This record gives sequence, C-alpha cells and structure tokens, in this order.
Amino acid sequence: MNKKGTGLKIVISAVLCLFILVVCIRAGSVYISLKDLFGIIGGHLTGKGTPEGVAPMMDSIFWTIRMPRALCAFMVGGALSISGACMQALLQNPLASSYTLGVSSGASVGAALVLVTGITLPVFTNFTLPFAGFVFGLLTVTAAILMARAIDRSISNTTVVLIGMVLSLFVNGVLNLLSTFDDAHSKQLYLWMMGSFSARGWKHCAVLFPVCIICFIGLMLMSRKMDIMSFGDLQAQAMGVDAKKTKIVSILICALLTGISVAFTGVIGFVDLAAPHVVRKLFGPAHKLVLPMSFIYGGAFMALCDLISRTILSPREIPVGAVTALIGAPFFAYVFFVSRRKTR
Amino acid sequence: MKIEVKNMTAYYGKTEILHDIDLEINAGEKVFIGGSNGSGKTTLLRVLAGIIPHKGEVKVDGNEISSMKRREAAKLISLMPQTSDIYFPYSVYETVLLGTYASSGSAFGGINAKDIEYAVKCMEDCGVIELKDKHLDELSGGQLQRVLLARTFAQRSPFLFLDEPGNNLDIKYRAELCDKLNKWAEERTADIPNSLVCVFHDLEQARRCCTRAVMMKDGRIIYDGDISNGTTPEMLLKIYDFDVASYIDNKNTL
Repeated sequence: MNKKGTGLKIVISAVLCLFILVVCIRAGSVYISLKDLFGIIGGHLTGKGTPEGVAPMMDSIFWTIRMPRALCAFMVGGALSISGACMQALLQNPLASSYTLGVSSGASVGAALVLVTGITLPVFTNFTLPFAGFVFGLLTVTAAILMARAIDRSISNTTVVLIGMVLSLFVNGVLNLLSTFDDAHSKQLYLWMMGSFSARGWKHCAVLFPVCIICFIGLMLMSRKMDIMSFGDLQAQAMGVDAKKTKIVSILICALLTGISVAFTGVIGFVDLAAPHVVRKLFGPAHKLVLPMSFIYGGAFMALCDLISRTILSPREIPVGAVTALIGAPFFAYVFFVSRRKTR
Repeated sequence: MKIEVKNMTAYYGKTEILHDIDLEINAGEKVFIGGSNGSGKTTLLRVLAGIIPHKGEVKVDGNEISSMKRREAAKLISLMPQTSDIYFPYSVYETVLLGTYASSGSAFGGINAKDIEYAVKCMEDCGVIELKDKHLDELSGGQLQRVLLARTFAQRSPFLFLDEPGNNLDIKYRAELCDKLNKWAEERTADIPNSLVCVFHDLEQARRCCTRAVMMKDGRIIYDGDISNGTTPEMLLKIYDFDVASYIDNKNTL
C-alpha cells in the first residue's frame, strides 16, 4: 500500500469520525445550530460559561447530557475495539474478542455483584465498579484460555470461540440468578446485560478517558511485538518475542479496557469484532495503524449505535447492545463463513 | 563461540521425545540433521533455539539458553520453522522487516534505516523483492517459503537453523537455496563465523549444503560425523528401516 493513499484514508477516517460525533451530539428531539453548539463547547473549554443568546437549558442539554454521553459511547467503542484487535492478534483468531472470550460477561457479573451487594472500595469509591469489572473480566478470560489450552493444545479457532460462548452462557446464567434473587435491582441488571449509555456523564468520561489513553499508549508501544505475535507463538518466539509475557501483559490491558467499559455501560458485543476487521481490510494488518484506526472506527460506530438506540423509538430508548447485536450478528456470521472458506 | 548440549532431555507434555542428547556445534560449521519422520529432528532444532523447554544443559556461548532473554537468544540463533501458519495478510515487505526485530536497537522494536536497508537486501537475495507489495495470502507455497527465508536472514544472527527449508521449492530454487546457504556460511555476522544447522529430507540438498551429519533415530543421536559417512546406504538402511539404495535409480547420488 502506498503511503499517500494510507495518509489520505487516515485523514478521511478522522474527518468522518468527527462528523459522526457532531451528528450524534446534535441529533435528537431538541435542535441546536452548529454555531450555538460550538459556542457552548468553546464557552466551557475556555471557562467563559454559556455564550450569550443560548438558553441555559440548551447549555445543560448539550453540555451535561449529550456531549458526555456521545464521548462516553465513543470511548467505550474505541476501548472495546482495540482490545478486540489485540486479542485477535494474540490468539491469531479473527473471531476472538473480549465478547466472544467471555470477558464482557465476566465483567458484568463483577459489576452486578457490586450493584447487588452495595460493596464499595475504600477511598476510591468511584472506581469500585470498573475495578470489579476488571477483576471479573480477567478471571473469565483466564478461565477461557486455560480451558481452551486443556482441551486443545494448539488453541484453535473453534475451541476458543466455543469455550468463550459456553463461559458467556454460564456467566449470563449467574447474572440471571443474581437478578432473580434481588428483585430490587433486576430491572437495572437486565438493562446491564444489554448495555446502555443513558445518563452517562462527565464523571464516567473522567475515568474512561485516562484509562483509555494509558492503555492505548501501552498497546501502541507493543504494536511491533503484536505484529510478530500474529504469526503464532512458535514464530514469535523464534523471532525474539517472549510470547507468554506479551500475552499476559496485553491480556491484562485488554481486560482493563473491557472491564471498565462494561462496568460503566453493560455488555455490548460485536463492536470489538467488527471494527478491527473492517480496519484490517482498509489499512492492512500492521498494528501501528490497526490500533488507532480501530479506536476511531469502533468509537464512531458505537456513537452511531447509541444515536440509533435513543432516537429510533424516541422518546423510548432501546438498549445499545441490542443495536450493535442486530448489526453485528450478521457480520459475525459473515466473517465466520468467509474465514472458514479461506482455511486451507 | 559454540553451542554445547549435555545430558539434554526434552518432552512434549509427558512424552519424552529426546533422550540424553550430547552435542557440540562450533561457529562456522554446516550441520545436517537427518532421520526418519518423528525421530526428533524438529524438536532438537527447537530446543537448541531455546523455544521449547528441556532438562539438562543447552549453552550458547557459555550461557544457558533457557535463562537468556528471548530477544537476546534470537540475536544469536534464528530458526525457520517447518510449518509457518499465516493468519493475517501482512505484505511481503512488512513480513521481512519484522525479522529485524531482535537485532534492532530500540527497546520497543522501532525501525531504523539500517533495518530497512538490510531487509531489502535479504529480499533481493531470496528473489522476492519483486513481490514486495504483495500480501502473504496472495503467494504460492514456494514464494511464501522464500519470503519466510528472507525474514529469517533478516534476523541477522550467526546461527541459522532451518527446518526443511526446501519445502515447496521447485528444483531450480532448491539449487539456488544451496548456493545461497553456502555463500552465507562463508560470511561472518557480528564477527562470528556463520553456522548452518539444517533439517533436510532431500539428501542431495543436505550433501550440497552441509559437511557434518547428525543422524537421529527415536530421539537419540546415532551418528555424528562427516556427512559422506553419515549418508551411506548402510547408515540410511539403519536410520529409515528401509532400503533407500534400491529406491533411488542412480546409485551414484547416494
């Protein structure tokens, strides 16, 4: 691929992504002009407050509701997508993702336990949910990989996907059980299982943003190792990459990204599968591009799905997980069939 | 510089594959590893390269290979595995450039101009430079083999371990491969004489590329010495439990 073409594609993608974000913020029952929207954003960023001529209600709708919600969706979509891209490379499996490996379901059980029991971390109260999500997500993915390895030493595509599915179902069972025993939270838990960005605000962004940045930098620093890992453990070892260590570090990062996303928004599937796949088709498999572009594409896709979820049956909201699944499931099937046909 | 193996035993799971191996390979040697299917040739290569665990001693330049950092070990020994699965369609250029990871200076494996220059040279040497922008899933088996060979050369280590490098290559490329390996073996890397350790099934190729033979049977070394004595009809009968001489028309090639 020539460099000029790639550069152009990156610019187009970035512009498209910004455009989608603006559309997501503007669309809805309350209309705002572009001028007012940028006025509000500028006013808050420069600390001048609401600009003249803009109603305070408009300011609160856009600055305290829609903006953080869209950004939250964007970051969650991006976080899930880069963790998907990373898992796929590590396991050399286009069907691997936090969702198919059960990380998302595991994380949601952790979050549900926090919700039901009311336990909080001392001092870092705000981090209780993401922390529980991280720990349980990590436990599930470890269980999935250990089980896969026990059954099939080479950890083939089908084994991983099947075990992930089995674990997800099992963990969902636990979640169902929790919601049956705890009537008070059952509605909340149900919504959790489908994911939603409703009422996500700046305080969520404040946690998501630094975590995303740090994890993204961490993964970017490993991008060449990940390229080498995509050739499988044996070749990676031969080329000088410590396969085990690289796997452990990157799975930790992925579990953190997924855990925190799920803890804040619930289980949302398929983005982590679809975004990296599309990005590889457009930009090739090298991770120094796959990772940032997956973030942008996954983020934009998620923001768009959230827009659909809150507008299509307006004023009712449908869970965003349902939207991504409705778009993602046929895509998943497509990837599965095509990759099977290609297997030599 | 040499590789020293003492009382080495290797396992796959609980099955013992290699039993009590003693071996010494000096820098500058050209060693053929022969034996029937399942005799432990591939396992031996992988243990020597430090990729699979072992009991006993495997020392490279006096250091136990299993306690070396992976990247440090890969600077000294590059291994081209027999089967190379491709999961993601990297371009030929990207693939060969990845070979420079171990030897390139930066901690996170950044690429510098020297790496690029060397990768291009390796692609030229292996006759794949015109495939530079193709993707791995567009290549034929033989082309892929040559690309992976170029990537192994790009690793720039004085010990080159090749597991059936002639796989998928037509007769012309097999001959070229021998010439290339012989030429490479006369050079030095980081002032260490280059050494070849190769598994071949094609005895003709083995004799063209190597001077010493290590013949294996059931996980043990049963012959170690000059290649012409290691590939006599009697020796081959012993190794393969099969009369190789009667199978080959021209007895002179044996």
